[in-house]
Amino acid sequence: MKKILIVDDAAFMRMAIRTMLEKDDFEIVGEAENGLQAIKKYKECKPDVVTMDITMPEMDGLAALEVIMQYDPNAKVIMLSAMGQEVMVKDAIIRGAKTFVVKPFKEDHIIKTINKVLAL
Amino acid sequence: MSGQYTNEPMLDIYIFETSQLVEQLEETVLSSERCGSYSSDAINEIFRIMHTIKGSSAMMLFNEISNLAHIIEDMFFFLREEKPINLDCSALTDFVFESVDFIKLEIEKIKNGDNADGEATYIIDKLKVYISQLKSNNNIIIEGKNTKQESVKTQYYISQSSSDKQLYKYNYKAKIFFEDGCEMENIRAYTIIHNLKSITSDIKHIPEDIIENDDTIQQIREMGFEIIFRANQSYDEVYEFLMKSLFLKELMLTELHDDGDFIEKSIKAKEASDSIKMPIIQPNQSVKQNNNTDSQGSAAQGFISVPVGKMDKLMDLVGEMVIAEAMVTQNPDLKELNLDNFNKAARQLRKITSELQDMVMSIRMVPLSGTFHKMHRIVRDMSKKLNKEVELVIIGEETEVDKNIIEHISDPIMHLVRNAIDHGIEGKDDREASGKNKLGKITLEAKNAGNDVVILIKDDGKGLNKQKILEKAKQNGLLHKPEEEMNEKEIFNLIFLPGFSTKEAVTEFSGRGVGMDVVVKNIGKVGGSVSVDSILGLGTTITMKIPLTLAIVDGMNISVGKSCYTIPTIAIKESFRPKASDSIKDPDGNEMIMVRGECYPILRLHQLYKVKSAREHFHEGILVMVENEGKNICLFADELLGEQQVVVKTLPTYIKKIRKIVGLSGCTLLGDGSISLILDVAGLININV
Amino acid sequence: MADILMQEELFEEEDTQKGKYLTFNIGTEFYGIEIKYVTEIIGIQVITEVPELPEHIRGIINLRGKIIPVMDVRLRFKKPFREYNDRTCVIVVDIKDISVGLIVDSVSEVLNIPEQDIVEPPQINKGFNNRYIKKIGKVGSDVKLLLNCEKLLTEDEIVDINEAL
Repeated sequence: MKKILIVDDAAFMRMAIRTMLEKDDFEIVGEAENGLQAIKKYKECKPDVVTMDITMPEMDGLAALEVIMQYDPNAKVIMLSAMGQEVMVKDAIIRGAKTFVVKPFKEDHIIKTINKVLAL
Repeated sequence: MSGQYTNEPMLDIYIFETSQLVEQLEETVLSSERCGSYSSDAINEIFRIMHTIKGSSAMMLFNEISNLAHIIEDMFFFLREEKPINLDCSALTDFVFESVDFIKLEIEKIKNGDNADGEATYIIDKLKVYISQLKSNNNIIIEGKNTKQESVKTQYYISQSSSDKQLYKYNYKAKIFFEDGCEMENIRAYTIIHNLKSITSDIKHIPEDIIENDDTIQQIREMGFEIIFRANQSYDEVYEFLMKSLFLKELMLTELHDDGDFIEKSIKAKEASDSIKMPIIQPNQSVKQNNNTDSQGSAAQGFISVPVGKMDKLMDLVGEMVIAEAMVTQNPDLKELNLDNFNKAARQLRKITSELQDMVMSIRMVPLSGTFHKMHRIVRDMSKKLNKEVELVIIGEETEVDKNIIEHISDPIMHLVRNAIDHGIEGKDDREASGKNKLGKITLEAKNAGNDVVILIKDDGKGLNKQKILEKAKQNGLLHKPEEEMNEKEIFNLIFLPGFSTKEAVTEFSGRGVGMDVVVKNIGKVGGSVSVDSILGLGTTITMKIPLTLAIVDGMNISVGKSCYTIPTIAIKESFRPKASDSIKDPDGNEMIMVRGECYPILRLHQLYKVKSAREHFHEGILVMVENEGKNICLFADELLGEQQVVVKTLPTYIKKIRKIVGLSGCTLLGDGSISLILDVAGLININV
Repeated sequence: MADILMQEELFEEEDTQKGKYLTFNIGTEFYGIEIKYVTEIIGIQVITEVPELPEHIRGIINLRGKIIPVMDVRLRFKKPFREYNDRTCVIVVDIKDISVGLIVDSVSEVLNIPEQDIVEPPQINKGFNNRYIKKIGKVGSDVKLLLNCEKLLTEDEIVDINEAL
């Protein structure tokens, strides 16, 4: 089973993603609600894929992405973005994010994205 | 009752989180308004909250909420990026509150299982106008800045791009279509460009301004994304490379042999790629403030939210377990057996069950801070409307009470705070004239007092005028005692009577004749009491005394015939065996008893509840004197059975539907599995007056 | 998915319950109650009297920690009270999320009464407690009076609810 780390400051979003992914045989190895936790959890759980929210308190998704990519250049991080965040998504791509998903998204969309990233 | 919960965990958490965020937002906005400006932290926080609400609401298909949150997010994005000067804080706050109120209302609808059918269009339109005003006011100043930045960018790019031109062997042209519905096609296109940079630095593309211009999304959807680049890799390698791109629907890759074609196109595309290549890396503030926040973050993570209904159920189960434990350990079958080991194990079991009970109780306890902080908004809105200046001081917000009780005291507190601002605090001029600080002060204080929590609502306003109260009471026929015989406390207490209102004009916020009596009634419902103290000219203090919890009470079990009743220990003043001669009857046949020179009415429970085969002779039974709000009566019962903590259960709904039984507040299970009815002392006293 | 499965199971369950009646007697009359309402049948329990209730509501009982009211069906039908004995049963029913125990003289059996054997009650019979009888079932030469459970619980209480409001 592929291991997923969910990073989002909104508990609702974490639950939504968890619910979607668990139906499809992914193992959620951790949840983090800000960038700092994400880094810590990444080191602990060694997930196959990270879903990373951008706007978060403490440390945002871009900063966390940067640290994670330094720690593990092969990390597979998918950004969760919303319309209006184009510039930040672009920034994330430069920093090594594999791709992004635009909120609101549907179950099949995020699962497809994760599977594609896993196949890279 | 908002204790109900849906079976949809997603919806539950959506409601829970959104309400929490809205509350947090309100507080931030209020404190910003108080400082007279929005700090960048506050702006960031509001931006983030709205961003989250937008995302969650869109996922749940609550589009109006999402749209509204989006526009506020936009507004605060603008504030964050442009930092406009001369911002009218008060107007901004009004907009945010109007939106917050809308969201709250919708969430309330969702919570009650109704459709979130409100339309936010009118707020959104207003906000759009406001934002464009903000922008146009700000433009003149901004423009200068922008041009400067751009010229720097261009310079930087040119120096980089003119290198390596002749290094690559092949020219390629690729046309790409993305999958339908993958969103943000422009950024997907950018991702490809970004990836291509690992094999070449010579790339041009159409459309050009993919990042800056949202219209390119549509363009890419319809016409595809075209890239022209040079590379050393073979056609197959490049093809494979591009095919790895995510969400690719269609790729047409051609090798260009005509160099001229390439150059021509590259000229067209040049300017655009300038700006793309320059990533707008914003100075990353978040990294800076990282160091000491880790502990905070993980503390927040340690919480989970649970529907109240589940907590109630857990409470019930634990209560049942306590009873089951007693049924086992005190089982009559065990009598006269020598069971050392069993008794040891039983003691251990008892210890664990009682710890479990304490733990469940403590889980149910929530601090009053949420309820208290809601009052900031009330104070703000009211003082603005009434043109008064009022400051709210909160003390002891960490004091905890049972979740059930919080729900019941929130409205009364709100009412009392409104009253204090409306009737208590004077207008600015009056205050200055009487030598007071222009700024009125309302103090909301909570503290523990034994099994109770005391909440004080204090104002430094004009205080209660005894004479006016008396006049008003007389007018409304509320005086039952000669004025001269009434002490201060009794006069003040008149304001709690139904139909009393000292203010002539009915205002939007309080008044209307319903008021204090409703507060008293609601507090009474949770077994609490309200009293008032006031000094003319200096202010009024309302004191609310409420029990810590409703779920468990210390009770005294008494028997009447075959029935068992439980009296909350807190209401009991004393109990004693009367002599037959102690009973006095008035001409109407009402029984009374003299205790230490005072006369108390007697209520015979067996008569009230028509219990058969109860002791009727005065000297055979026992009297229990109970008190509520300063009034006493003596209950006549067969005998005392003993004191114990009982878990309060409500009477079955079916019975509550048939009839509201006077003097009964619920029931409880005793150690032997039998049921005892819990007496409502306030109700019993009221029968007798 | 899980939800859909559950629903199907429920439908099936309802299906197997259809046409089944728990029969009991009060005096010489036999009554039937749709099995879907019945949650369990227990012997007579210690009843805690609750004051101020109509006579037929005998009080409340402790059913494994759950407190439920008990109604004496005999008294509900305005028949004379009869002391409880070891044949007396409490049929616990769950009607619209309200649990109530029905005290009956004795429980007999669960019967399958096909639709074609069920007829409307006679309309003229006024002396009888007709309003609680929904239908009449014929089983061989016997007649079972099929109860309207919802009416049994509500009807005249409605007045009180309105008063309470």
